[in-house]
Amino acid sequence: MPELKPILLVEDNPKDVELTLAALEQSQLANEVIVVRDGAEALDFLYRRGAHGSRNTADPAVVLLDLKLPKVDGLEVLAQVKADPGMRHMPVVMLTSSREESDLVRSYELGVNAFVVKPVGFREFFDAIQDLGVFWGILNEPPPGNGRTSAR
Amino acid sequence: MNVRTTGQGIDLTACDREPIHIPGSIQPYGLLLAMSPEERILTYVSANAAPAFGLDRGALLGRPIREALPRLEALLGPDLGRADAPSGPGFARTVSLDTAAGPRRFDAVVHRSERATILELEECVPGEEATLDTLYPGMRRFVERLQAAATTDDLCRLVAQDVRAITGFDRVLVYRFDAQWNGNVVAEDRNDALPSYLGLRFPASDIPAQARELYRRNRLRIVPDANYVPVPIEALGPEPLDLSDAVLRSVSPVHLEYMRNMGTMASMSVSILRDGVLWGLISCHNKEPRRVPLQVRNACDFLAQIFSMQLDARERAARAEDRMRLGSVQARLLGYMAAEDVFIDGLVKHPGELMELAGAQGAAIVSDDYCLRFGRTPDEAQVKDLFAWLSRHHREDVFVTDALPAHHPAAAAYAARASGLVAIAISKVHRSYVLWFRPEAVQTVEWGGDPRKPARREAGAERLHPRNSFEVWKETVRGRSEPWSPGEIDAVKELRNAIVGIVLRRAEELASLADELRRSNRELEAFSYSVSHDLRAPFRHIVGYAELLKKQEMERLSERGRRYVDVIIESAYTAGTLVDNLLNFSHMGRTALKPRRVETRTLVDEVRQRLALDTADRRIVWTIGDLPPVHADPVMLRLVFENLLSNAVKYTRPREEAVIEIGSYREDGSTVFFVRDNGVGFDMAYVGKLFGVFQRLHRMEDFEGTGIGLANVRRIVERHGGRTWAEGAVDRGATFFFALPDSEGAS
Repeated sequence: MPELKPILLVEDNPKDVELTLAALEQSQLANEVIVVRDGAEALDFLYRRGAHGSRNTADPAVVLLDLKLPKVDGLEVLAQVKADPGMRHMPVVMLTSSREESDLVRSYELGVNAFVVKPVGFREFFDAIQDLGVFWGILNEPPPGNGRTSAR
Repeated sequence: MNVRTTGQGIDLTACDREPIHIPGSIQPYGLLLAMSPEERILTYVSANAAPAFGLDRGALLGRPIREALPRLEALLGPDLGRADAPSGPGFARTVSLDTAAGPRRFDAVVHRSERATILELEECVPGEEATLDTLYPGMRRFVERLQAAATTDDLCRLVAQDVRAITGFDRVLVYRFDAQWNGNVVAEDRNDALPSYLGLRFPASDIPAQARELYRRNRLRIVPDANYVPVPIEALGPEPLDLSDAVLRSVSPVHLEYMRNMGTMASMSVSILRDGVLWGLISCHNKEPRRVPLQVRNACDFLAQIFSMQLDARERAARAEDRMRLGSVQARLLGYMAAEDVFIDGLVKHPGELMELAGAQGAAIVSDDYCLRFGRTPDEAQVKDLFAWLSRHHREDVFVTDALPAHHPAAAAYAARASGLVAIAISKVHRSYVLWFRPEAVQTVEWGGDPRKPARREAGAERLHPRNSFEVWKETVRGRSEPWSPGEIDAVKELRNAIVGIVLRRAEELASLADELRRSNRELEAFSYSVSHDLRAPFRHIVGYAELLKKQEMERLSERGRRYVDVIIESAYTAGTLVDNLLNFSHMGRTALKPRRVETRTLVDEVRQRLALDTADRRIVWTIGDLPPVHADPVMLRLVFENLLSNAVKYTRPREEAVIEIGSYREDGSTVFFVRDNGVGFDMAYVGKLFGVFQRLHRMEDFEGTGIGLANVRRIVERHGGRTWAEGAVDRGATFFFALPDSEGAS
């Protein structure tokens, strides 16, 4: 049984953070959930710099990335991750309140792994988050040799 | 001594090449002596000079005038030596000389030519003493009358009358050149000795170019007797003497023949110049030979010059008046155009003024889409052909010609209606023109008298007969119209500018509307984007927190508390769904359709199966008819069926057994689909509201939904170029129809 890698949640809205955490909690996932509050912090975490310069956790199994973020927005984070050969295999799921088609198109162009419009209904929202967590946190088999701190 | 006679053997057929300024002879009513400017040695003398003074032939040539004719030298010496002697003929003085026939009076004229000082002596007409004193009252009267004359026509009539009064010729004509040097008799004064030529036209070839040049240089000519015998000029050297400025210059034998053919034995003409250009002639004729004294002729020249100045003033005034008149026509046309939605209608409804603007007899407005004709025009096919030709070869703003067939040979077929054309291009983008037509000039001759009246006296020389000349004139002006005046051309140019101004203004208005639309679209997009983010999220949060509350605090809540939480969840959920639907609806209008072949039957089956999941506990009988594939946007078409089928399922809920039928039929190049149910139906009185946004025909608690589904259906179908409608009755079910046209041009 490989070590469980954490789930990185990038979300600025505290209510969405709480609801998402509640949903993930209910799914009984054992993965650690790391919350960062904007795109800049997300990049700091991923590149182990700034406040996250000395993190000793593994790279995340999946990044749940809100599209609309302060400072550096979700699309920019996505673009950097997918442009980096060392990181582009990391699954990124775009979460958004927006139903704008242009955002969807742009995200797929940048290589997003999934795009989820947060449903209004709680059940649907919970289902979506839990499905994502289970799929990317447990079921998804990462490419061999991926990740700098992959510890099997 | 080498004596020669020059200028013999003239070719009568080659008028244009005839060297008429060096005829080598003079008319016999005077004497000519030419001498070197300094020594005054006689270098040319007319053959009649020596005999006139009772001298031997050859007694003059080569001798100084001082020795040969001392008396003459004494009288005219100062005039001959003047350094500022005019280059044109100038009357010097009247002198009395002893001749072989006794003492005689002569009018002396002195002028300079290239190689000699020329002295012409014209014997005074016996009994006709003409001095400035005797001429002055008549001239003064003339000037006064001229100033009172209102129009150019009046002026011409007056000058004809007065010149005849002073000179006593049988007939005086005012003859005017057109742009191609054809002549037109515009005024006449005469007695019954000679017929009228008023209104007659003559071809340019009647007065060849070099003759016109002489008319310009030497404004006055007289031929007292068409049957005269020319007097040769004897010369010291081989060079001929240039007689361009000479009063006595012998005229072309062709001209004399012309005179004899016209039945005029004497003629005089005075040139009318305007700004140094030959405008016309005052042409005098007499049935019998007649000589008019030099002083009288000079008076006529003076009259002609005053006339020319008056003409200038009158024509300036007429031009100004014309411009004013055309300006008011133009103002009216602009007013008409401004009052119409489609500005062209302003012209179409007032063709009279449209034609008046250019002084045209026909007009047309023509583009790729229409061809409207007014007045005398070529037929429609011809106008369209002209339009095609113009748009290929004459894209310039204004095209003007008074000889259309010369530019466009096909126009020869309708030269009678349109030899003159003015065309203005009124749009750069869409080819369209306003055209004005003028008929062939031959048809617009205004006959001042019967052109057949001048009788043909001599059968031999048909070419020069006036009547014949008229025929020749007709030949030379075929395919030509009256020229367009500068005022008329300016007027149509201004009309064009105004039209283009209107068109541009309209285009700018449209552009600003489009800008406005783009701006409001952008705003709408920004709005829906923010709605999407900022409105959905709070609803989601309300629902989420309420659910958490319900889950975690269930035991501590009262029954009523739990119901309250349920209502909160339900309301927020409904509001959130409404926002989703609204966004869908707005997307529907904005996103591009991607039409392709859709297997309708498969699509309907999928939609039905998805619905079946929610209706497993109900008895629903589905009847699926023939559903042909169509050309449509598959995602949108799925939405249509989803809405219609879920409606059918929803509104049959009270039925123990729901019957839902889906089918199609062909009608007018469309495929019509319908969804029929046996549900609660609706009142046909409200059928018009059915497809509106947020129109609900049922109470909220009876049937859930946001009331936007059918609006979506209509919007999608309309964007495919189709239409929607419905039939129903309360408690008797409903049928919803939508028709999709076969064309693949869904937008």
